[in-house]
Amino acid sequence: MKRRTFLKGTVASSALAVAAGAGLLRSGQVLAADWATDAFNAKDVASASKAAFGSDGAADSQDIKIKAPLQAENGAVVPVKVESTLADIKSMAIMVAKNPTPLATKVDFSGDSVGYYSTRVKMGKTSDILVYVNSGGKILKASAMVKVTVGGCGG
Amino acid sequence: MATKIKARQKGDATEILVLVQHPMETGSRKDKKTKKEIPAHFIQTLNFTVNGKSVADVSMGTGVSKNPLVGIRVKGAKSGDKISVTWKDNKGETGGAESAIK
Amino acid sequence: MNKKLILMLAGLGIAFGAPMTASASPEGDLKEFQGYFKQRFPTVPLEAYNDGVNALPQYADRVENWKLLMDFPPFEDDVEKGEKMWNTPFKNGKTYASCFENGGVGLAVGYPWYDTKDKKMRTIEADINECRVDNGEEPIKNLKNGKMAQLVIAFKRLSNGKKMAINLNTPEEIAAYEKGKQYYWARRGQLNFSCANCHVQNSGNKIRGDVLSAALGHGTGFPVYRTKWAQSNKPLGTIHRRYGGCNKQVRAKPLKPQSDAYVALELYQAYMNTGIPLKVPSQRQ
Repeated sequence: MKRRTFLKGTVASSALAVAAGAGLLRSGQVLAADWATDAFNAKDVASASKAAFGSDGAADSQDIKIKAPLQAENGAVVPVKVESTLADIKSMAIMVAKNPTPLATKVDFSGDSVGYYSTRVKMGKTSDILVYVNSGGKILKASAMVKVTVGGCGG
Repeated sequence: MATKIKARQKGDATEILVLVQHPMETGSRKDKKTKKEIPAHFIQTLNFTVNGKSVADVSMGTGVSKNPLVGIRVKGAKSGDKISVTWKDNKGETGGAESAIK
Repeated sequence: MNKKLILMLAGLGIAFGAPMTASASPEGDLKEFQGYFKQRFPTVPLEAYNDGVNALPQYADRVENWKLLMDFPPFEDDVEKGEKMWNTPFKNGKTYASCFENGGVGLAVGYPWYDTKDKKMRTIEADINECRVDNGEEPIKNLKNGKMAQLVIAFKRLSNGKKMAINLNTPEEIAAYEKGKQYYWARRGQLNFSCANCHVQNSGNKIRGDVLSAALGHGTGFPVYRTKWAQSNKPLGTIHRRYGGCNKQVRAKPLKPQSDAYVALELYQAYMNTGIPLKVPSQRQ
């Protein structure tokens, strides 16, 4: 655990060679060069948003539709679907506000992709799910709250 | 680890779904038997191409569920178009699959 | 934990009623049972009960989980594997289909049933193993999940969409039915609940953060893929696996899959599901 914290503090996302040279990477572990380490390791929404989009402020948008259950059945598998009709969508990100590292996933679109993204996220507890969209360079967001209770009637 | 692709029409767009068998370990879970931490092991990047052209670059962290399912939609795709998905995880392991739109 | 649960339940006013029916026949029981649920959930048609808790209006907050997951059903892999096994010949060249009338198509809606020729109650799991042994293969030991669950899915899928139609033709079947009915309505375990307490009297109500599904339809979607079980890599479950889990939930000792009491219970439930189409497999929490 201590080692990873040390790693977070000292390794920048493009410092792959330095990290390997300094022996900071555990054997067999490679940081993908195009993976936004800072964004994914950020501990709050504002820092994650800044690292992922370059800005921690985003206006709310009615044109981002989030489909997620009002109450999750299982916090380990919460399905989320995002659709947006905003113009020129370059990327989308899904964050779970109360997770230890809120940024769950980001998608960068090219070619003929439309403003749609779906996946399944882990939620530690009741939290807002935030969706950020880069629309022609402008960052907009929407949120939906998902309740997470630990059900007891398993078998 | 298996990667499966599914494509279907949704209005005037084609939805492409990919399911990857992957543990997506956060690194904070403890093995019940050994009591040791299970090392983080998760997909970091995943890419979709249609007919060789990239349409979406996905990056994910440990907040994505085990056996990740990711879906995107594209316009203008037609029957016979080739879909390819490739992914890479934090250990450098890779995987992928190919399919054609029916 | 027990005390807390009991107090909470007392607070919720959980009813501990006697069996609802004093009727003299299974047909009478069936009418009363299905009638009860029609009254309790007037907007839910009989056929919809194969969706389990997802069919209940009280589940509205959570049904999106199921709908979104069914976009790319998590059990597709298991269905494929089961179908492959079903179609793969044994070492002697025969297939599972050769053990069953009509290749097994349409039969699942009549299980369990009493075979007067061989003088035994037949369940799908037992028949699959009998088929294996008759054709020189080893029987499958694990009757809760894995390969057996995949094969049961393959068999039941041959009857998907067909309505449950159990016939209580023999004294043995009627005796098993009565045994199953008694099991269903008897209290058990440290928590002293019967199946009916939760799934009849409190169907649709919340308990421990979950919503109780209705008894009507139980089994029509089995074997089931449970997200909860998937977390420990054993997502599939036969109905006898689930019975064991429910027993544990009321702090009663679980029985082994295919034990007599569970087979009788399965028959009782199957009869109560008369008219509900099979929808196998299903995804549940």
